[in-house]
Amino acid sequence: MNLPLQDKVALITGSSRGIGRAIAQHFANLGCNIVINYTKAGGSSETQAFSLSDTINNMGLKSLVVRTDISSKEDVKTLFEKVKDTFNRLDFLILNAARAPFKPIEKLFERELRQLVDVNLFGNIFCIQQAIPLLKETQGKIVFISSLGSRFYNPSYPLGMMKSAMETVIRDLSCSLANDKISVNAVCGGIVKTDSFKVLRQMWEGIDKIPEDMIVDEQEIAEVVAFLCLPASRGIRGQTIVVDRGMSNQIIHFR
Amino acid sequence: MSNNFITYEQVLEETKKAIAETLNIDISRITPDSSLIKDLGAESLDFLDINYRLEQTFGIKMARRFILEHVEELYGEGVAIDDTGKLTDKAIELLKIRLGEKAKDLKSGIYIDEVTSLITVESLAKGVMDILQTLPEKCTACGGKDWKFAEHLQLVCSSCGEPAEYTNGDDLIVNYIENIQKERRIF
Ligand SMILES: [Zn+2]
Repeated sequence: MNLPLQDKVALITGSSRGIGRAIAQHFANLGCNIVINYTKAGGSSETQAFSLSDTINNMGLKSLVVRTDISSKEDVKTLFEKVKDTFNRLDFLILNAARAPFKPIEKLFERELRQLVDVNLFGNIFCIQQAIPLLKETQGKIVFISSLGSRFYNPSYPLGMMKSAMETVIRDLSCSLANDKISVNAVCGGIVKTDSFKVLRQMWEGIDKIPEDMIVDEQEIAEVVAFLCLPASRGIRGQTIVVDRGMSNQIIHFR
Repeated sequence: MSNNFITYEQVLEETKKAIAETLNIDISRITPDSSLIKDLGAESLDFLDINYRLEQTFGIKMARRFILEHVEELYGEGVAIDDTGKLTDKAIELLKIRLGEKAKDLKSGIYIDEVTSLITVESLAKGVMDILQTLPEKCTACGGKDWKFAEHLQLVCSSCGEPAEYTNGDDLIVNYIENIQKERRIF
């Protein structure tokens, strides 16, 4: 039996932990070969990246682990050279990596502000630019992982403004890359219980009061990302699909 | 203010436990002088997780920011870390006072990342201990003078049951910096 993503190759940035990892695992379950990416050498991300790689290899699939700081254009070039050398193709670019300090915008130091933009805007665009030649060949897909910070205020969450910017990038690219048959969309997650949730837990008083049934499972995000990579979604272009269990539909949550 | 309810040994044990659970490593690998970053592979998200566990265990609030970030918030960007990510001489002077023996090899021109790798299991446990030492004489809710343990190692007022109000980790660090600044005028 053929799996839906058999013989395809997905690159998921920031896939050693959290949502990125869940996406990588889910795509592998659908038969996809995986490029795992992480940033920091020698730490827990690296350990987790390689353990995920073992899991995927044991499923009879091929995986490649690449350490990359996406804010460096040179690093990103090397990443895509490795993808080309190993697989000679790319079907899906999943832009999940993000890094940001947790403090209000007005308190950001200049270096934090620059790093915020370097990683979360420039980094993603560098990845897109490098991926285009490969994605043209496969009529591939780009999916960006956004968050509700793109449209709602969250305390100490300057990443939100980068998410808005990227949602705009996604909309524009869906038009400018249409002739190349590359489809571009985003998935905007609500409150997801991942490593980053541990941060929110410390920064947002009262986050524990959010009803348990409003907390999104990372698998729910992963499945929508996969949908956006399957033929069933071929009519969807430049959209950001909100996956938040309806949290953003109501102002006050009484439960 | 002091805390006669919780010993340093207990704090050290809980700190090791929090680290072992977060990093999913065997507790026997963790010694007081293990560097969280260099020896145990902790990253920034891991620190938040470790802190969260310690907060739940003791009913405290750990510092959200590193001492040099507080310095720059107080005295301006660039006074502790220059625009290439290197520590200033002033930052080194402060760290030598703060860290004592451990910081003796710090030289100007080192990068901020090398400093964070000086955080050990012991220094984390001492940070917790510093917060626990701020246990107030009296319950801030009812004025009661007795404490008892509730969940984990959380102290609550024996009379009204309100949790003990410790000073939070960031405020402690800010107080520390301001005191040093008063004495030495570093920044
Ligand atoms: Zn009381």
